[in-house]
Amino acid sequence: MSEPILRLDHVTKRFRGLVATNDVSFEVPEGSICSLIGPNGAGKSTIFNLVTGYLPVSEGSIHFQGRRIDGTPTTDLARAGIARCFQIAKPFPELSVHDNVRIGALFGRDGARDIGAVTRDALALAGLTERAQTPASELTVGYLRRLELARAIAARPILLLADEPCAGLNATETEDVIDILRDVRARGVTVLLVEHDMQAVMRVSDRIFVIDAGRKIAEGPPEAVANDPHVIAAYLGTDEE
Amino acid sequence: MLAAALRKRAWRVLAGVVFFAAAASLPFVTTPFYVRVGQLVLFSSALGLAWTLLGGFAGYWSFGHAAFIGLGAFAAGIFEVELMKGQPWLGFALGLLVGAGLSALAAAVVAWPILRLRGIYFAVAMLGISQVLAELNNNIDMFKGSMGLVLPRLSAFGLRPEALYFYLLLIATILITILAFAIQHSRIGAGLMAIREDEDTARMLGVPTERYKVTMFIASAALTGALGVIYAHSLGYITTSSVYRTEFSLNMIVYNLLGGIGTLIGPFLGSAIMVILTQVVLGRLLSIHMFVTGALLVLLVLVAPKGITGLVRALRQRWSAR
Repeated sequence: MSEPILRLDHVTKRFRGLVATNDVSFEVPEGSICSLIGPNGAGKSTIFNLVTGYLPVSEGSIHFQGRRIDGTPTTDLARAGIARCFQIAKPFPELSVHDNVRIGALFGRDGARDIGAVTRDALALAGLTERAQTPASELTVGYLRRLELARAIAARPILLLADEPCAGLNATETEDVIDILRDVRARGVTVLLVEHDMQAVMRVSDRIFVIDAGRKIAEGPPEAVANDPHVIAAYLGTDEE
Repeated sequence: MLAAALRKRAWRVLAGVVFFAAAASLPFVTTPFYVRVGQLVLFSSALGLAWTLLGGFAGYWSFGHAAFIGLGAFAAGIFEVELMKGQPWLGFALGLLVGAGLSALAAAVVAWPILRLRGIYFAVAMLGISQVLAELNNNIDMFKGSMGLVLPRLSAFGLRPEALYFYLLLIATILITILAFAIQHSRIGAGLMAIREDEDTARMLGVPTERYKVTMFIASAALTGALGVIYAHSLGYITTSSVYRTEFSLNMIVYNLLGGIGTLIGPFLGSAIMVILTQVVLGRLLSIHMFVTGALLVLLVLVAPKGITGLVRALRQRWSAR
């Protein structure tokens, strides 16, 4: 197998006494869609914060395309090709949809040659062409999520980290987001997802990592994970407790 | 990017050229009093523009930019008086560099600690810095802040002094406008806008936030310093209290707020309104002029919280929605 796009080796993150991420290791193969799942507070978003350099790791190492990246500033990682969509959309509210996406294009991986074309392309992929001139502050939740995705895609990432892109969306909107993620993958972008919508996760993922209380408790393709007794226990609780 | 921006805004650029050309004729068609008013409008506009490079574009409001006016004025003044005797124009040209350079240096020194402070903390830190510099300038004899400093007199083409400084300020304003336009429509301009809107997200998208902020702070300080040098010459004699004026710091913000923050036309509109109002309209009502000015400001903030440009945009949207 070729070098994975992203590799975490025994990553631990402590906040004073609290261990948010405890000795987590996993590999995200190139061109795949992988998902991190787990109960609320399991430490999924913390892992995203570690991968994007937003928080420093306490122990362990993170490799991106075979290069060690823990300790690298967020800005540099963005330029190296790691893009992130937020759980709570963070648009630039005063700017139009188009200008939001354009900033993604301007500061993405190794500077695009034709910013206009990259911007239009990302808008089209996310189905935002008709709303390009709308101020971001006037978008509904569903469209804000698309905007997050479009802005991230415009940066031409190698790895896209999407933090709950389906949260708070209705069935149709969820369907749209899944389609967008598949289109993104079809372009050769590797996707790592944090998602609570199990149906969405099961349908879209090639591989799932289950996190509970900071630890990885299971890993595998969707069917295997869904039937794993540890996973069922983590989600539903066990009799012994 | 710049070429496309120019093409897209061809009418506005043309309007700008016409405005500056019309302004250039002012000293020939009006009285010295109005030339001085024009001088003040230009000086205020240019200060507003220099301030907005960081304040309007990146959202880092400095409440102490007068520090750079004072620093530029005194650095150039002392340099010219001590080292450039008998060569007023060469002294002035080098003085501009000294004033701008020292302001840039001061900004670079304080940038690292204070640009980490966001929002109101940065504003207050700058206010503090300007007060400290003013006190130092006043109390250290070498700087002649309390005694005052007489600057070399400049003259050229037989122009009256107010016309000469009007033209110097006009040139400075044009140059700063061009620079601000170029910055606004470049990649760094887009990055600054992202910082203003949401700095963490900007960082996540790959905007080199620290570098951009520091660069703009230094550029803004250098331009303000250079304007301080011209202003000092136009006064002829400066003391600490004539250049390190907190009023300047506040005015730079007021002009931008009034005209429309983050825009280039904003500082022009804001300073034209304020200067004409305070100098011309209310000039004869000295006893109540501060009161009227304050009341008008309150009114404008209530009616047009996003400044005049924001008000025009809102009205236009309302019209087109009909």
